[in-house]
Amino acid sequence: MRKIFTIALREFLAVVATKGFVLGLLIPPVIMAVVVAVLPKLMNQKPPPVVGTIAIVDQSGLVAPRLEDAFSREKMQQRREEKFREASAEVTKRTGMTLPDPTKSPAAPGDAKASETPDPLAAAMDNPVAKAQMQQAMGAIPELQVVTLPPDTDINAIKDQLRKADSRARIPLNADGKPDEAETNKLREQRLVLVVIPKDAVALPASTDASQANPSDDPSANFSSYDLFLAPRMDPEVSADIRDQANRAIVDARLAANKFDVAAVRGLIKRPEANQQIVTADGARKQNEAAAILVPGGFMFLLWMSVFVAGQYLLTSTIEEKGSRVMEVLLSAASPLELMIGKIIGKGAVGLMILLLYAGAGLLALIAATMLDLIAWQNLLYLLIYFVIAYFIVASLMAAIGAAVTELAEAQALMTPINLVLMIPMLLWLPIMRNPNGSFAQVCSFVPLINPFVMVLRISGPEKIPFWQIGSSIVIGIATVCVLVWMSAKIFRVGVLMYGKPPNFPTLLKWVRMA
Amino acid sequence: MPAIQLSNLTKTFGPKLAVDRLDMSIEEGSLIGLIGPNGAGKTTTIRMIMSIIFPDSGAISVLGKASAIESKDLIGYLPEERGVYKKMKVGAFLTYIARLKSVPESQVQTRVRGWLERVALADTYKKRCEELSKGMQQKVQFIASVIHEPKLVILDEPFSGLDPVNSRLLRTLVHDLHKQGTTIIFSTHQMSQAEALCDRIVMIHQGKKVLDDTPARIRNQFDPRAVFVEPASEIDERTLVSAVSGVREVRRIGAGFEVFATGNEPASGLLARIAASVPATRVEVVRPTLEDVFIDIVKGSAKSPEELAELEALARGSRSDTSGD
Repeated sequence: MRKIFTIALREFLAVVATKGFVLGLLIPPVIMAVVVAVLPKLMNQKPPPVVGTIAIVDQSGLVAPRLEDAFSREKMQQRREEKFREASAEVTKRTGMTLPDPTKSPAAPGDAKASETPDPLAAAMDNPVAKAQMQQAMGAIPELQVVTLPPDTDINAIKDQLRKADSRARIPLNADGKPDEAETNKLREQRLVLVVIPKDAVALPASTDASQANPSDDPSANFSSYDLFLAPRMDPEVSADIRDQANRAIVDARLAANKFDVAAVRGLIKRPEANQQIVTADGARKQNEAAAILVPGGFMFLLWMSVFVAGQYLLTSTIEEKGSRVMEVLLSAASPLELMIGKIIGKGAVGLMILLLYAGAGLLALIAATMLDLIAWQNLLYLLIYFVIAYFIVASLMAAIGAAVTELAEAQALMTPINLVLMIPMLLWLPIMRNPNGSFAQVCSFVPLINPFVMVLRISGPEKIPFWQIGSSIVIGIATVCVLVWMSAKIFRVGVLMYGKPPNFPTLLKWVRMA
Repeated sequence: MPAIQLSNLTKTFGPKLAVDRLDMSIEEGSLIGLIGPNGAGKTTTIRMIMSIIFPDSGAISVLGKASAIESKDLIGYLPEERGVYKKMKVGAFLTYIARLKSVPESQVQTRVRGWLERVALADTYKKRCEELSKGMQQKVQFIASVIHEPKLVILDEPFSGLDPVNSRLLRTLVHDLHKQGTTIIFSTHQMSQAEALCDRIVMIHQGKKVLDDTPARIRNQFDPRAVFVEPASEIDERTLVSAVSGVREVRRIGAGFEVFATGNEPASGLLARIAASVPATRVEVVRPTLEDVFIDIVKGSAKSPEELAELEALARGSRSDTSGD
């Protein structure tokens, strides 16, 4: 026992105490952390608010007032809040993560007064934190004014002005760091957009068909299009908003021209929203599509990676000991079984360390994203149990192969079928997650070699797995480990002192019978 | 109680009979040389003693136990296939081996440093094993086999690859261990090493024990009953045969002759007669070397002249190996 511990300790330190390992272990999480920390900041680098005027030449005379209204400060603020709310609702739906709602005050959810707040805008004013967050996410509100030009304006002259305009200009500052009023006013004057609305865009000429009393009754009737000229390099979000608002103003103008109640019609055609829920035995649960696939995938990948990295270390160290002929020196001090078990445990500790470090990093990331409720704590325990089973399966195979060959290159031939078998869980990830309690997933849970991976997938998914399946898969796993360790101990004993032609699988089986 | 007792030990590798019904008994405190040509079965025997491989049939007793596994910590073993962890530091490697061999923790460092000093490698404690020359590595491996002060030391080809200086150093160390009462077995195909060191020699050939005795008795047994004479003046073989009675054969060797007596007459009588009748600068009884014995035995088993020539070349080669020592 003491010898096994001495061997395991050396095997552990021989990997962990190298610079290569420390760097290899730390670099991926560091890169990930940098990406997570820096990328949103970079993407949040909003351009300066767009400052200028939207010129409109409105031959119908009906659209310009509506567009002017749409670009009033209050309406623009309202639209941004609406957009933010929609985006966060989408995030919640996909991931289960709740973003603070800037339109709700930070009061407790049970607070009747807070939930009764009638005006979302007013509530947003009460919640400076959420407001700041929104401000940060969406950038500053553009300073846009709508200027209505007479119908006979020279369009080409305005287009020339657009060409020279700088839609990305920053608000000029004067010497003491405050916005320079005169310069800012000049900037506000610059024309960035020209909207030209022909008469036909709002009202069809009644003269074309006298029998048609109401042009909108005719489904074949076609309103003409309108022109939208933009200065170069406009922020696409702003130009999209201008286009949307112009479209909306035109449609509203058409409705009004045909004597519809605009607000009533807008209310009627509002897109309905589905409140999607999955009804399970435990009651209704909000759907969480992405998390349901990604969390089990993450768990399995973690297991797979730590098991394989440790297995690879075990393989190379066994081959090294055999190749450098240090093996017989060791065998004079410890029995082949002690040596093998010590090596397996030592490299297993390396794998466990990788698993714990990465799982810890993952948990920290989830805590930071307030998504910790995606992980059930008992799943971490199961992850450990299945790690031990999966590792011992892979490790006993690696120890047997490492002992059987003399060079790493010779190991490849024996590794290929094993790698293929152990790639299966990766391929099964999506089919199993689509139906974690389907008969396919259930059968896979009892197939030796792959069942630890399959079970980790199923357990960390959203569906409840019957306990008897968990228990029996663990029993099958342990039985697999016993058989494989027994076989590889025999192969190990024969193989460590065999040099020369690398054996094939029939030879290995012969060794099992022989030893 | 013998330290090692082998009875009727047999091991085959596929069709090849590596060890054939071997009996051997080694007393405690003895220093035994296991000799034999390459492929004779020396390493296989040693590995079976060490329980690294297991015999097909026969019984082994090591230090009173049925298997070396039960008394591993009392046995020191320098394998023929020996290596070190290339990237490990010498000190760390020896510390690891010492711990693995149950050296008390308080003594591990003093022993590692003490032994490195004894073999003039004190400055290599912090060097990586791969930085050492092959001879230095071999000394480190020797330390690894004796660091736990074993009662029984088994050295498989300990002298191969060592220069004369290190060969002598190793011989001194082996001798010191022997004086402390350690039972030592070493295998070699260099007869002169075995002759110089051992108090008993076991020769294995084709898996069988063909010789098991003290060097002196072996020499007597294989006494060629010959006298070497270096005449003072130039004479030829015929003159020599006619001048001395009872001469069966004369062979010219360099500047002198090897003279063989007829019948079973001891060499001493022949020597007296030669000294009386031939003026000579040097007259001495020819002492058979183990090499001669070795070749003699191997010759008998050679199946073809080619094999015989090969074996003789091997034995001569082993003499030139150590000629500088």
